[in-house]
Amino acid sequence: MNVKEKKNLTMCIAALLITVVLLFPLYWMLVTSLKGEIEIFKVPPTFFPKVLNLDSYAAQLEHGDFNMFASFKNSFIISFCAMCISLILAIPAAYGIARFHFKGKKLAILTFLITQMLPVSVILTPMFIIFRDMNLLNHQLSAILADATIGIPFSVLILNGYFASIPKELEDAGRIDGCNRFSSFLLIFVPIAKPGVIVCAVFSFLYAWGDLAYGMTFIQDQRLRPITAGMFNFLGQYGTKWSYLTAFAVVTIIPVTLIFIFMQKYIISGLTSGAVKE
Amino acid sequence: MRSFIPRTVYVIQKIRRFFRFGNTGYLFVLPALLYMLAFVGYPIISNFILSVQDVTVTTINAPTKDFVGFENYRTLLEDEVLITSIRNTFIFTIACLIFQFLIGFALALFFNKDFPFAKPLRGLLMIPWMIPMTVSGLMFKFMFSTNVGIINQLLQMSRVIEEPIEWLMHPGSAMFSLIATNTWIGIPFNMILLSTGLTTIPPELYEAAAIDGANKRQSFFKITVPLLKSAIEAVLILGFIYTFKVFDLVFVMTNGGPVNSTHLLSTYSYKLSFGLFKYSQGAATANILFIILFCVSIIYLKFVYNDKGTAA
Repeated sequence: MNVKEKKNLTMCIAALLITVVLLFPLYWMLVTSLKGEIEIFKVPPTFFPKVLNLDSYAAQLEHGDFNMFASFKNSFIISFCAMCISLILAIPAAYGIARFHFKGKKLAILTFLITQMLPVSVILTPMFIIFRDMNLLNHQLSAILADATIGIPFSVLILNGYFASIPKELEDAGRIDGCNRFSSFLLIFVPIAKPGVIVCAVFSFLYAWGDLAYGMTFIQDQRLRPITAGMFNFLGQYGTKWSYLTAFAVVTIIPVTLIFIFMQKYIISGLTSGAVKE
Repeated sequence: MRSFIPRTVYVIQKIRRFFRFGNTGYLFVLPALLYMLAFVGYPIISNFILSVQDVTVTTINAPTKDFVGFENYRTLLEDEVLITSIRNTFIFTIACLIFQFLIGFALALFFNKDFPFAKPLRGLLMIPWMIPMTVSGLMFKFMFSTNVGIINQLLQMSRVIEEPIEWLMHPGSAMFSLIATNTWIGIPFNMILLSTGLTTIPPELYEAAAIDGANKRQSFFKITVPLLKSAIEAVLILGFIYTFKVFDLVFVMTNGGPVNSTHLLSTYSYKLSFGLFKYSQGAATANILFIILFCVSIIYLKFVYNDKGTAA
């Protein structure tokens, strides 16, 4: 073993240790969800469940009130619709900002930038009153409309960069082939900016998936609530039923983990291009 | 009525001409902009109006609301919990920023080294940043719990402590737990942004510095830090904005307890509005949070978008 290999090995081991320590909470959550209530209270703790116990998951299928699979479906509907609204509005907006000159363009960019940084708390109370007046409380549309306000500014700013980097010659070529400004947008620009669109789809979905405040405040009906709100309720009622609670949490992060496995490249690009100037 | 029809035609013609000549951009931007104005712009204004009225659970259905000026703000400034919340929000934000920046920076430097599995392992470390804060909050609430918490169990097994610590039951340790949890969430964000910054530094610079006799410390402070300046600025200011408005995490872990000692502005605003149904006071608290964040956002825009012009 030469010096370089030795160094590589120590670095690898150190990196592995760091990863294990930092990701331990997630492992611990998964393990706890697979333990029985008695084993959870055991001292010293067991780092691998002695008996694999799937009760915490199975019980959820029976209970009507805190059915986590039902709230999983609610979360999915809310996040998916919020994602669609974000994309439908943000893709053209980003294109307009990147490829056209018009009065008030800087103000439009500034609006998106500021709204991206806005705390949920500021619009929560007035939105509650607005949705109340519109009779939208207890309707998933309220959470969908509110969640889209997180995805839109993010997507506009990310896609703006993608659209701006497409060379003008392509647009000219399209025009010669008979594209007007709308068909060249749909047929030339959107396909080229596809990686950016995927980044935006992923983040709009994840933002909505992670939301607690909107879903919990606007939707009171347990059967319509998103999974984060369901989990919070469950915590309030069965605060020490840790096997159930961790099972709830594991189910909540399944889509996040799947998205992470298949979309890692897009996530990192979205995160970095959103914040650092090139 | 007679003059109405030609006028409408005239207006429509004018609108068509407007979009035809060099204003096509509006057609693309307006839908999103209108959406944001309706669902964010209007609520911001109505939040301000709400904060100068007296709207509680008893008056919310009244057709007219009493205008009370800055009375809500005055009441709040005499409210001890609000003062604690402001202080907590700053302590929480600054402590989290320091820890997650230092650890994130160290990890960025470490994973920037060339060794097998560096990239995939660094990728895995992104997960804490992506999972919903409700889940992280619940997970750490479990880990910090007095009797079943793994943290107490490990500390007792290694004989650091004799009796279990009631982490979330005392103001100081509860705040510490919140900061530790949020730091865990923020580390990947800092790491990945700084990693990206590091890859832009040409390695020749370090080689040249080494030839000139610079040691590792010198090249770190003379090359790495100055060249990372814009990434560091972005990470710190964005980190401030993200941390300052954290809500879910505290709401799940302590909900401001014990006895209102760990409220942040966001959770206290929520409690006023939806726990005590003092909507106007909740709105005023949210406005205080908004004003502070707005100032920081402006600083951020000045730093990061300053010389970039229109292309963000």
